[in-house]
Amino acid sequence: MIDPTLLARVVKGDQQAFSQLYDHSCTLLFTLAVRILGNHEEAAELLQDVYLEVWRKVSRYDVGRGTPVAWLVTLTKSRAIDRLRARASRGYRPTNSPEAGTAVRVADPGPSPFEMQADQELRIAVVAAVAGLPKAQQQAIELAYYEGLSHAEIAERLNQPLGTVKTRIKLGMSKLRDGLQQWWNHGELQ
Amino acid sequence: MTHEELEESVPLYAAGALDRVERQALEAHLLSGCVSCHNALKDYQSVAALLPLSLSPVKPPRTLKATIMAGRNPAPIPAEAALNEPARPSLEPGEWMNHLFPPVAPARSSSLPWALGLATLLIVAVGGYFAWDVSTQRSIDTSNIKQLEASLQEKSARLADVHREVGDQAKVLAELRNEIRQRTKEAAEAKEQLAQREAELEETRVQLIEAELEETRLRLSQRGNPRTVGTPQDELATLLRIPNVKAVSLTGSDMAKLAAGFLLYDSRTQNVWLYSVNLPESPTGTTYQLWAIRDKPMSIGTFQMDTGDTTHLLVKKVPSFTKAKTFAVSLEPFGGRPQPTGPMYLLSRS
Repeated sequence: MIDPTLLARVVKGDQQAFSQLYDHSCTLLFTLAVRILGNHEEAAELLQDVYLEVWRKVSRYDVGRGTPVAWLVTLTKSRAIDRLRARASRGYRPTNSPEAGTAVRVADPGPSPFEMQADQELRIAVVAAVAGLPKAQQQAIELAYYEGLSHAEIAERLNQPLGTVKTRIKLGMSKLRDGLQQWWNHGELQ
Repeated sequence: MTHEELEESVPLYAAGALDRVERQALEAHLLSGCVSCHNALKDYQSVAALLPLSLSPVKPPRTLKATIMAGRNPAPIPAEAALNEPARPSLEPGEWMNHLFPPVAPARSSSLPWALGLATLLIVAVGGYFAWDVSTQRSIDTSNIKQLEASLQEKSARLADVHREVGDQAKVLAELRNEIRQRTKEAAEAKEQLAQREAELEETRVQLIEAELEETRLRLSQRGNPRTVGTPQDELATLLRIPNVKAVSLTGSDMAKLAAGFLLYDSRTQNVWLYSVNLPESPTGTTYQLWAIRDKPMSIGTFQMDTGDTTHLLVKKVPSFTKAKTFAVSLEPFGGRPQPTGPMYLLSRS
């Protein structure tokens, strides 16, 4: 999806490479930020922080640790969850319930002009893999991933035994791994 | 926690579902060098990074890019400077892996003097207590204190051992990493050399085939008529070994239903060979003519057919071979014609 050599150019201070990196990743990262934070303004603010952090710390990126996209997604997710927690500790009550998250999504803007054939195939594979999970497993993973809840918090939220929640996440994650493994085993995932 | 429990927590870690204590326990385990947990984590983290792709895409505001591009420092901060920044509240992407490799020495050596200092302080305190105790409460068993002292010393020695061991392991790891890097480089060089040798070999093979063809041609011309060949097998065999030789098959028309043939084209020399079977004898005063048809027919050459001939061979340089759509053989008055006038005998399937 993103050529690691693009990041190598960003490390050298290449403005054009940074601009390309933004174009290639902004929709995915913004989508993730909106899903976690539930609001466009804050997501835009977060992306600003994230990209500036990328620009400053890009030299830390090590291709051996994962793909550029994995790095950007992990960074965005972890910064967004930080914000979510900081917000919770300030006593902020989100106006959106988790379900209302869907309301802020655009109907379907179609693939971005930068989305290549392989990206579309990967997107379809991920959508299918997630949709193929039993609803309970999907819900448990999403509460952890997008809302930053620990298994104990999820168990409390869903009023389910802790062991059940752990098993749901483990099963769900391992199904996703089995379904998507070919994408990084064959080197298609850049 | 047992290894099994830790390994089971890997998918939960990747999904972000562990609480802080469990997260730290797994990170410590990963730092101890557990390969199976490390590999499992790599897989699960790849899965986790793909999850946002399942969301319906939301485009960021158009103005965001300009804001970001304008807000940057002149240049990214180099690696060393970035590493010195204060720790962020949450875990950096794959941050635990930073601890596997350098900077090892400062972190480890700084905790050792601290531990020894603490131990010394405790020993002094215990010693002080001992002195006070002797002067005030002589009845208390002093051997207990000595035991405590000895156990403290033993523990700090063990701590130092553990530190030394961890340091050694980190050194071994770094050496292994260097070796892998070296091996990868060597492998890449060997691969490059191999590719070069293969290219040379291919070149030699092509030269060999060309030499054989030339030899056959010479032998044929020494026999007199280069077109009538008694045994074209040698040349056919050689031709078929030309890399990327193109072949076009021809089938007999109603005039000669049993006739068939094929054309071979060597794109390097642009030569064309025609092999045909079961073409009827060309009556006196006539000749067969081979046509390459693109927009209009272009003559490639003429040839005679005597009774009993089953194979004919025609060699000609045809630069426009690949552009032709159809090939045909017609029977024409002797000497050939600029355009086909007689009946078609062979036609390529197009």
